[in-house]
Amino acid sequence: MATATIEYHAPDTVEAAVALLREHGAAARILAGGTDVVPALKYGVVGARHLVSLKRLGALRRLEVSADGDLVVGALVTLADLASSPVVRARWPVVAEAAGQAGSPLLRNRGTVGGNLCLDTRCWYFNQTEAWRASRPPCWKTAGDRCHVNEGENRCVALFSADTPPAFLVAGARVTLAGATAPPAGRTIPMEALYTGESLKPVALGESEVVTTVTVPAPPPRSAAVYLKHAVRDSLDFPVLGVAARVALAPDGTIADARVAVTGAGPAPLRLAEVEAAVHGRRAPAADDAAVARLTARTLGPLFLSDGVPHKRAMAGLMAAEALARAAAAAGEIR
Amino acid sequence: MKRLIQLTVNGQTRDVPVQPTRTLLDVVRDDLGLTGAKRGCDLGACGACTMLLDGRPVNACLVLAVEAEGAEIVTIEGIAAGGRLDPIQQAFVEHGAVQCGFCTPGLVLATKALLEATPEPCDTAMREALSGNLCRCTGYVKVFDAIRAAARRLREERTCPVTPS
Repeated sequence: MATATIEYHAPDTVEAAVALLREHGAAARILAGGTDVVPALKYGVVGARHLVSLKRLGALRRLEVSADGDLVVGALVTLADLASSPVVRARWPVVAEAAGQAGSPLLRNRGTVGGNLCLDTRCWYFNQTEAWRASRPPCWKTAGDRCHVNEGENRCVALFSADTPPAFLVAGARVTLAGATAPPAGRTIPMEALYTGESLKPVALGESEVVTTVTVPAPPPRSAAVYLKHAVRDSLDFPVLGVAARVALAPDGTIADARVAVTGAGPAPLRLAEVEAAVHGRRAPAADDAAVARLTARTLGPLFLSDGVPHKRAMAGLMAAEALARAAAAAGEIR
Repeated sequence: MKRLIQLTVNGQTRDVPVQPTRTLLDVVRDDLGLTGAKRGCDLGACGACTMLLDGRPVNACLVLAVEAEGAEIVTIEGIAAGGRLDPIQQAFVEHGAVQCGFCTPGLVLATKALLEATPEPCDTAMREALSGNLCRCTGYVKVFDAIRAAARRLREERTCPVTPS
């Protein structure tokens, strides 16, 4: 790691962490589980001079159900603990499923919920060693002026590929951030608002902000959700595509509410509003519903395939239809 | 700037001066001289560097040493007691679950964490527990045989009062 000049801080309170982030601005980087930041430091794609470790912030490790019936997940809860939590598995199984599919057991023992939400975007051309990258001019993501995925592109097109955001999105999660103003008052936003849609800076955190909590409301009655992951390997891999869907059924068996969210298909995890609207009020689609598949494929933005998967658009359509069908079938079994 | 930290490795606490950017793997191998954990991909994608951190298997190549202060760290050197191999190590030897050996420390420690949480794992649980540890020699079949044997032996040790000679 060519980073011998990095200074390490381990503040005891969220307020102290925010103060450090404010003091060091763009030179600071938040360190939670380290499974995303440490490789980036080794690759030299993150140029932090200050690491602000959250390890002493015990308050960020809580995992509980609030009096209102919401699931409250501290940002430092590990993906392993989220995936194995009995209450999460029983009442928000889609969240547990997605968390349990991220990385590997070893990575999930360190990787945190906050870190997964704030995962940096990825691309073949910059998640590489410095020696590898030195063979071509620097790209947008490494302070250069070009894109190697799509020559002539005037912006970075790296992909967001964390597993848990689609599950949290269909579950209606909200994210609480500390540090927006001085003194560090919290602000709570819908998870959709956590993402900028820009590959260069995918997460809409202010310079001194830190994710503290994710809150997930109780699911609506007669609803179910699933997360489908398509990856090259069953473990140790980012999703080529991840699709979550939640379906709530009306008494007559039609869809009262549908949500679909995708990861791996752009600079941010996306809710597919057009697809959600199209199935609303109808019978559940079949797992091979061609109309849902076509609509999904059409609503995805430009796909720059920085991971080199040309069938991604078609795959997203098939996965969305299957996710909706499976969620509806599971919801239909609830009496 | 170097910091003096206390690391508890295999039950022994030592003061170690470290740069904050050095990983637990680097410090344990290069400063403490415990070279059982291997440096493979150095990016969290192979599991050769697996150590137990408060009982949980982690990629030591992704944990900064400063972050491990205050934790109980166990490396492969720490599980054989009194000159006797851990039953998991013994089972790996007896079942030919070791070929080149580079992944073995990681596989053994991942197995140790598994059997402590789940003394009688089904095949799915075994595959899942080892899915962060790559072995490019064995094809895993003998590794799983060894885990089944180790689980049996540990069960016997728990239930049978007679120590085998």
